[in-house]
Amino acid sequence: MYFRILKKDLKRKKTMNVILLLFVILSAMFAASSVNNIVAVVNGLDYYFDKAGMTDYFSATRGEENDIKVDEFLKDSEYVTDYGTEEIIYTTSESFRRGGDKLYDFSNVGFVQNVDGCFLNLFTADNKILKSVDEGKVYISGAGMRKADIEPGDKITFEMNGVTKEFEFAGFLKDALFGSEMIGNPRFLINDKDYKDILKDETTAEYSKGRLYYINYTDKNAFEESTAEISPYLVLNFSRSMIEMTNIMNMTIAAILLVLSVGLLVVSFTVLRFTISFTISEEFREIGVMKALGLKNTSIRGLYLVKYFGISVIGAVIGYFASVPFGKILLASVSQNMVLGNDNSVLYGILCSIGVVLIIMLFCWSCTKKIKKLSPIDAVRNGQTGERFKKRGVMSLSKSRLGSTGFLTINDILSAPRQFGMIMLIFTISTAIVMILSTTARTLASDSLLYLMSVTESDVFLSDSERSMNTIASVKSIEDTNREIEDILKENDMPGDVKMESWYKIPTEFGSTKKNITFMWCRDTKTTDYEYTEGTAPELENEVALTKLVADDLGCGIGDTIKLTINDKTDDYVVTAIFQCFNNLGSCGRLNENLDMTKTPPATSFYYQIEFDDHPDDKVIEERIEKLKDIFDTENVFDKTGFTKDCMGVADTLATVRDMVLILTLVIIVLISILMERSFITKEKSEIALMKALGFRSDSIIGLHTARFAAVLIAAEIIAAALSIPLTSLIMDPVFGMMGAIGKIEYKFDPKEIFLIYPAIILAVTTLSAFFTSLYTKSIKASDTSNIE
Amino acid sequence: MKTILNVTELCKTYIINKRQNNVLKNVSFKIDEGEMVAIMGPSGSGKSTLLYTVSGMDKMTAGSVEFCGNDISSLKENELAELRLEDMGFIFQQMYMMKNLTVLDNIILPAVKSKRNKESRKETAARGRELMNKLGIAEVADNDINEVSGGQLQRACICRSMINRPQMIFADEPTGALNHRSSDEVMEELTKLNDEGTTIMLVTHDAKVAAKCTRVLFIVDGNIKGEYNIDRSVSLRDRERGLNNWLLEMGW
Repeated sequence: MYFRILKKDLKRKKTMNVILLLFVILSAMFAASSVNNIVAVVNGLDYYFDKAGMTDYFSATRGEENDIKVDEFLKDSEYVTDYGTEEIIYTTSESFRRGGDKLYDFSNVGFVQNVDGCFLNLFTADNKILKSVDEGKVYISGAGMRKADIEPGDKITFEMNGVTKEFEFAGFLKDALFGSEMIGNPRFLINDKDYKDILKDETTAEYSKGRLYYINYTDKNAFEESTAEISPYLVLNFSRSMIEMTNIMNMTIAAILLVLSVGLLVVSFTVLRFTISFTISEEFREIGVMKALGLKNTSIRGLYLVKYFGISVIGAVIGYFASVPFGKILLASVSQNMVLGNDNSVLYGILCSIGVVLIIMLFCWSCTKKIKKLSPIDAVRNGQTGERFKKRGVMSLSKSRLGSTGFLTINDILSAPRQFGMIMLIFTISTAIVMILSTTARTLASDSLLYLMSVTESDVFLSDSERSMNTIASVKSIEDTNREIEDILKENDMPGDVKMESWYKIPTEFGSTKKNITFMWCRDTKTTDYEYTEGTAPELENEVALTKLVADDLGCGIGDTIKLTINDKTDDYVVTAIFQCFNNLGSCGRLNENLDMTKTPPATSFYYQIEFDDHPDDKVIEERIEKLKDIFDTENVFDKTGFTKDCMGVADTLATVRDMVLILTLVIIVLISILMERSFITKEKSEIALMKALGFRSDSIIGLHTARFAAVLIAAEIIAAALSIPLTSLIMDPVFGMMGAIGKIEYKFDPKEIFLIYPAIILAVTTLSAFFTSLYTKSIKASDTSNIE
Repeated sequence: MKTILNVTELCKTYIINKRQNNVLKNVSFKIDEGEMVAIMGPSGSGKSTLLYTVSGMDKMTAGSVEFCGNDISSLKENELAELRLEDMGFIFQQMYMMKNLTVLDNIILPAVKSKRNKESRKETAARGRELMNKLGIAEVADNDINEVSGGQLQRACICRSMINRPQMIFADEPTGALNHRSSDEVMEELTKLNDEGTTIMLVTHDAKVAAKCTRVLFIVDGNIKGEYNIDRSVSLRDRERGLNNWLLEMGW
């Protein structure tokens, strides 16, 4: 008897049961994939770095003499527990060509490496550690290289100091050290024989060979202070925390996924709670009839619990299996550069699915509490006891100026605030996520962050790795290089001034604290041209400005005197200002332009900044950029917006994530609209039949059902648009803060995009799904008024 | 008298589980303006199907139905909807109402929807209140539909059926869900409406209700088996007695 009732129920209320099953599947899928992604993202870098075998500290040398000095230092250092090395060949983007053209303009130096000499684990696209490379093949790492439009199997020509080799591209690598968007050094992993062939050239072996050092230490501060001794022999040096910071944009995207996952969890449980209470409220009549027949409360409650348990178990199992590919889609954009995951994903997935079943049973238990209160008379009254004192309708048709469809739309929404409020909440969360991403992507792709690169405004920014290498290696001075570029500009009828920011690694002391700090210096600009958050620009030779990060690290502030050792000479310098910048992850300082740094080779040189004499407009600048690309044979020529975008590196990835989230949002909104509308049709069957009997045309009813979703979505979009700017600031400020921007970020948002394009896309898709679902009302006839229970 | 509803050879067939079920078999009858016709018959005889089919709520399988001279079988879905809205009124056994509207709003909803109605919203509301007043339920105008009794609700349904000044009212067991007193009140209102000139066709099981009409059609197995004219000038008790005798002859 018990199971016969159940069987009949499942068959007769097929639509509502199927809708409930679909929501359970969605919830289990969202919950399992979200929890797994949250675990993966939270443990993301640690998991990735552990798998890669990252050490506490990393540095790079160039030239055998320097290698020997660093080796001796590390062997003798009391703080070093162990270290590993990799032999590398320094190279530039000039060396890699495809069909005569540069393969890709990577702005920094690249490293050619023998796969057999790898210390760090590098991963292939399917997260396998690269152990060997076939002769004639090359694997490439580095986020920038992914923009090179290159497919496995493509041929690449390598040419360096007269040695030419043909390689076949084998695939991209995930590189824990150089793989992030913020580091522009790609690695080229090749076979031992190919590597030796390149080193056969004496110039290469003598001048381009170097080493990467991976170091573990016992005392962070003591070791980092002691590295001041070897600082002149190092080309690059980073601590693990700094490398972690270079992955910040990947982590930003991961964090956005985390927010999205939490959003999905909220959406799934809200929907579930609604669906259960909705379906149980539909059962009032039957509960009353069962009570009238003499069934006990526990038996009736048990009947529903068994039914929902069955549905939730089936839904949770399907949802668990669906969560695996769904989770992978969510993580795809991040896992392109990182190995993300967790070793317990199956366990978490199963636990989440069980959790969904338990939560459903809990919801069901709480909803079926009402059974006790229901009397057989509810069978007649269809669940209405008549003891409701709150008015259901809140508007009055007799006083309204709206037409019947418009009135019913608004009145229905206002009369069921919980139902439509829940839909509005889901729509608001989904729309706000898209808007936040859009604003962030636009900000990153604009010049509003230019000041955070600590450069002055210029017409054009040019990156020339060959010339930069020459200045770093003291082959040519910065001044001569600038003049050389100015001459080229003059020859091509676009005369202008050229300047360049140089970065110097300078041993710095304050009290007992010693650090190697990166200082920026530009002879052709004034320190007053830059922005500072506190204090005044360092206008004298013995004055400096520091970022807040450096000032905190040293323990000093404005007015304090610090010691800098430049060219073996230690002098006092007064800190006059604090500023913010993204360079070197916010860890840097600025020297006064009058300080003579011409005798010190820079550790890094930034972009060549060009300011044309004739102050051309944007269109002319654009034309000149194209011309300069040909002249300097490089794609790395930008206007200020392009320059900021290139420095941030992640703008394009974020735009891709934004598009993916937009698609995901649309899918969720479409699913929810379809399922909700289908539930409403089932619930409102009697009203639909009545309206038809009263003479409402089918298109009026379809219009009403569609308009309700459209109205709720428009309200949700208005709320989301109003909240998008403060929410963007709330969520993204800490992320930019971690990169060095401690002050207020001026977010760029495109009103057309925020208020028109995205809302219109979401509105169109939602309205269409609600419209197509509401076509089902056509199957309800006016004469169904006689068949309604 | 002008014929308002002319039904000729009407057939309605349902196919359930691949089995053909002929609910109405060549039904023919006429209803003249100002008549109040009751359809009676045993359960499953096709009474409600007949009402829904002749009012254009359900499609006929064969035959023809002329309403005010228009053949409704040739009308499209939207034209039928307009006809129901402007020229017909409906009263159902279950007192269906829109749950999010007050009683008055439910009553005036068809008038607001009507294209023929040129009144202002205020005038429509006033007319709704006037109808409610006439049927003795003015005090519940602003009530929620759950806050009124079944009898009041059914009278509100009558008001709603009247709001667009229809040519004819179709009522499917209008007293079926009401107690004796409410049932009498509702029938009194319907009779009054009929006396004022509104044509009514109603389906009922109750001989007492049918006795208040001007004519009774008795339907068995989808066929009209007999027709009984009632003289309203005689006392209600005599009308009931006469009708009951006739129904007994019909095998009721």
